[in-house]
Amino acid sequence: MTAIIKQEMKLNLKSMLIWALTVGGLGFICILMYTSMEGEVMEMADSFSEMGAFSDAFGMSTLSIASIAGFFATEVGTVHGLGSVMFAAFFACSMLSKEEDGHTGEFLFSLPVSRGKVITGKGITILVCLILFTLICGVFYVLGFVFLKEEIPAAELARFLGSMLLMNIETASLSYLVSATSSKTRMGLSLGISLVLYIYDILGRVVPSMKDYLFIGPFSYANASEIFAKIDAPRYSFPVAACIILLAAAATYFTYTRKDLAS
Amino acid sequence: MENMIGIRNLTKRYGKKRGVEDVSFEVQKGEIFGFIGPNGAGKSTTIRSMLGFIRFDSGSISILGMDAVKDHEKILEKVGYMPSEALFYPGMKVSEVIRYAADVRGKDCGQEAAKLCERLEVDTSKKIRELSLGNRKKVSIVCAMQHRPELFIFDEPTGGLDPLVQNTFFELIKEYVKEGATCLLSTHILPEVRKHCDRAAIMREGHLIKTDTVENLIRSTAKSVKVTVDGRTEEYMYNGDLNDLIGELSKRHLENLSITDPSLEDMFMHFYEGGKEKS
Repeated sequence: MTAIIKQEMKLNLKSMLIWALTVGGLGFICILMYTSMEGEVMEMADSFSEMGAFSDAFGMSTLSIASIAGFFATEVGTVHGLGSVMFAAFFACSMLSKEEDGHTGEFLFSLPVSRGKVITGKGITILVCLILFTLICGVFYVLGFVFLKEEIPAAELARFLGSMLLMNIETASLSYLVSATSSKTRMGLSLGISLVLYIYDILGRVVPSMKDYLFIGPFSYANASEIFAKIDAPRYSFPVAACIILLAAAATYFTYTRKDLAS
Repeated sequence: MENMIGIRNLTKRYGKKRGVEDVSFEVQKGEIFGFIGPNGAGKSTTIRSMLGFIRFDSGSISILGMDAVKDHEKILEKVGYMPSEALFYPGMKVSEVIRYAADVRGKDCGQEAAKLCERLEVDTSKKIRELSLGNRKKVSIVCAMQHRPELFIFDEPTGGLDPLVQNTFFELIKEYVKEGATCLLSTHILPEVRKHCDRAAIMREGHLIKTDTVENLIRSTAKSVKVTVDGRTEEYMYNGDLNDLIGELSKRHLENLSITDPSLEDMFMHFYEGGKEKS
């Protein structure tokens, strides 16, 4: 299994770095924009916080966009949230199915390794890449604060990155399951699931009757504005996330160990 | 003789489509066993069932004395498989692919791999995407042989290989077999079977229709009869008393008559076309 992990890391490192540099770099640029926009942001902050449900949806009622923390949570929170979830979905959705798409499955599965070990090895690769991705982005964000000579909100930043990582693992686990089914529409399906989860969270914050069910989606506990405003995640959001990850993993094993490999 | 492969009543269907039905045969230790049949006959389905790529519906497969389903991983440690499509990760170098296959096996196959690369003239510094089909096939041979397996399973191995490499390939098989290995050679190239195999099984439309030594398949009691009457030539296989045949033929005005032992190709075509032997 170690050989599979090493091999997958080698094959995917470049792609992961491109995504991390892109998302982290965009976040870094966003942070740098804070000083140039400081004056305008002050004016915008008041009107943004008075937009009712929409202010809630985008976290502008809990945190002032005029502060560096508020600006980071609103701007970088959205960039990282969407960017990282797209990366997780894109990365995981082809991890298993690429062996059949590229007709390399017969080579891999003729080696003495069970499908279970292949799933585990590739799953560990996804996990390691998501951690590396988060760390690289984190370095960019810290550099942004350092560059602006602003105090680094270390605890909030760590909680933000940790929550984003968990959200990425959750969406990746769903995409990994999609990959195991080898559906022709898996890329669209995986990215679609991620976008639906994002929109579910936005709607949940706009529509009052949906607010109580926000905890079902991963964006509920990874809301940057709430994290930087030191608001706790919805009560059941973490147990639900853990259940979804475990169920998706179990379904991936169940599906992939029983399916006929395409020739 | 020790059975290296034992297949009993193997049946696999793809939904409503036929895969293989009630296939049974054995491959004994030390033999080169030909597995022949036209495209779509069920050879690859049988092999893919043996290697655990697909789940079969009923029957049992025993390889090296172990159950193909329960002991799948242990079996693959001792099997060298070469698929018909030699496809690898395009961005990897040949040397990396060969080392990766050895690493997954947890073995240091460096010495054997180097020997095989030299014999087959494999350029290990090239990337997979730069290789022709023939050169990818050579990489596939190295991956299948470098760990010196007890059982080789080759699925259409020689397609794309030039005659010199084909020659080296069969030399290598014979060397390993001499040292105790066994080989299942799935092919539709009949001269390969005639030249290199001890026994063979013929598949047609998902059914195994004949298993015998190659010698017996050729020297079957059936005769290939070619007769010309009134300018018309008839050709058929005859499996019965030759005196009856001569008696029957003598009633007609013959222009030409040829009664010969059938070639393996004739036998194969006969079974392939589903023709029945006259008796």
